[in-house]
Amino acid sequence: MNVYVLQVVNGIGIGMLYFLLAVGLSIIFGLLRFVNFAHGAFYLLGAYFCYQAIAWGFNFWLTLLVVPVLIGAAGWALERTVLRRVYDKAHEFHILITVGLALIIQEGVIMVWGPLGANVPPPDVLQGIVMWGNFIYPKYRLFVIAFTAVFALFLWWLLEGTRLGSAVRAGSESTEMVSLLGINVMRIFGLTFGLGAATAALAGVLAAPIRGAEPFMGLEAIAIAFVIVVVGGMGSFAGALVGGLLIGIVQSLMSTLWPEGARLMIYVAMGAVLLLRPHGLLGRG
Amino acid sequence: MNRRELLKLTAMSALAGSLYPVRSALAQSDTLMFGCPVPISGAFAANGKYADIGMKLAIEQQGKLLGRSLAYTALDTEGKPATAVRKVQEAAQQRGARFFAGGILSSESLAMGKEVERLNGVFITTAGADEITGKDCNKATFRWSVPTYGAINETVRPLIEAHPNAKRWYTITPQYVFGDGLLSAAKDIFKEKGLEHVGNSYHSLTEKEFSGYLTNAMAAQPDVLLVLNFGSQCTDTLRQAVSFGMKKNMIILVAWASGLEQFEGLGADLCEDVYFGAQYWHAIDSEHNRELVKLCNDKLGYNPNYSLAGSYTCTKIMLDAIAKAGTDDPATVIKTMEGMQYSGLTGPETIRAEDHQVIKNYYLLKGKGKAAMKNKDDYADIISGGQSFLPIDQTGCKL
Repeated sequence: MNVYVLQVVNGIGIGMLYFLLAVGLSIIFGLLRFVNFAHGAFYLLGAYFCYQAIAWGFNFWLTLLVVPVLIGAAGWALERTVLRRVYDKAHEFHILITVGLALIIQEGVIMVWGPLGANVPPPDVLQGIVMWGNFIYPKYRLFVIAFTAVFALFLWWLLEGTRLGSAVRAGSESTEMVSLLGINVMRIFGLTFGLGAATAALAGVLAAPIRGAEPFMGLEAIAIAFVIVVVGGMGSFAGALVGGLLIGIVQSLMSTLWPEGARLMIYVAMGAVLLLRPHGLLGRG
Repeated sequence: MNRRELLKLTAMSALAGSLYPVRSALAQSDTLMFGCPVPISGAFAANGKYADIGMKLAIEQQGKLLGRSLAYTALDTEGKPATAVRKVQEAAQQRGARFFAGGILSSESLAMGKEVERLNGVFITTAGADEITGKDCNKATFRWSVPTYGAINETVRPLIEAHPNAKRWYTITPQYVFGDGLLSAAKDIFKEKGLEHVGNSYHSLTEKEFSGYLTNAMAAQPDVLLVLNFGSQCTDTLRQAVSFGMKKNMIILVAWASGLEQFEGLGADLCEDVYFGAQYWHAIDSEHNRELVKLCNDKLGYNPNYSLAGSYTCTKIMLDAIAKAGTDDPATVIKTMEGMQYSGLTGPETIRAEDHQVIKNYYLLKGKGKAAMKNKDDYADIISGGQSFLPIDQTGCKL
């Protein structure tokens, strides 16, 4: 099969993980107007909790279900106890406090699990490759594409088809209006932050069998997440999906066209989008 | 406050300030200070952590030298040359360090070597780029590890002999001086042996996603995938290559493995039947290595890995040279180190005077499955070991 077609499939796989990583950040920023530099740390925790759960003998499917919920709950608690105190402060405080949290979590991971990375095997049923003629692709990566697509649909339904989703979407337009309608805005903030943390943790669990679990993966994740959010448009669910897929495909295609520049092209693509559409592809002005 | 009091206060401050370097110098003269400039944060932090432990073991084992107590300071280079140089400067100026063992990445080692020469110190590294004891050699810099030329010659050549039908080779290369050195040496062998280099994918030093490059490799249908990166990037490449089923379709050779910690991170299943090039392996049959293995197990409860062993032996080389020279004057120690022969981790080792390169073995290992492991660290068998170094006139080094 043509190598470019394979790279596009690759790119979709990478892009779906990027989408999962970025959508929580985008929703958090859209509603809370809060720049969360600790977002990558939730991804990191997701990967390590997955590793530890499997090391303890739990199966991958249970881990996939439970770990994001746990991290989401932790994110909700963090928002209630710490972050809520700085919402009315300048953005510099948001950055300081979340960068501090990210470093604390990273160093905590190193203290508990050490500085070496760890391997996380995919579940037995997803090990190996599929072969369709010349098309060879890991089963696990195909699963990630399919699962993330289904999860994206679920998330879309949550945001478009539920009261919570309506409140989140309305709140991203005007929190004052939502508050005047009698909705507890702080409760929505907490749930949204928890949801953002949970999706980042889910990305970490899914990424662990591909990338392993290593202590500095949160830093790389936050950089990519911000690129996706900026490309897709802050606060836009569809933007996170389109941005993730675009960046994933660009990165993958560049691996063939200009391998040494594949990483650079992520940021060139971001720059190009910003020049043409400063609010992102699907962002609002 | 009146003018007289202000003048008195200023004079007293100046006096106190002038005493500090004297006091500091007195304190420093009681202690022989070593520096361990390695990445303690960032992608290569795992290597740095064990390097730190290696120096600590050597310093503690020595105890005292020339009647003085020994100390060391770990310097986090973050894997960045500019940070590394700054940390070395600070250690030299503020703590009086003149003897440095470290540098995991070639780029930081090249930069630190120049700085240590400027500071009239001694620097010994385990980094791999040929330039370190080649065209960028300097009086202060020594290198324990086998450079890229030797690493490739002691892995690719034995592999060709073991698999004579493997004619098509694909390389994955980090785009910096170290990667280019490995690639260049590999290409020379391909040309000499009439092998086909079917493709190469460069990647950046921050890359974590290798599926694109592996897809390129699969499309080229090589017999051998030659992985030329290092550390966590090498681990990521290998993990992802195995997930793409590449172990079934081709031979995988990792030219520069990190050592035991890499096998621990990947697990035996992933490493089975993969070939690894190694500077050091805990199972090497030499007296000095057996001593180090015993020391590590007694003090730390585990076997030494490459990062630990490399730092330990680099520190030990400097300590032994200082003892032999009878002085900690860096210039005299350097002269003592040039041509020094000693019993090293890989057997008899010699520091070549003309380029400050340690002449030692490099090994080819083959990963084994879990069922074949005799103990928890028995991840691989040593297939071959040997010494390959460029002749002095071809290194480009002029000391």
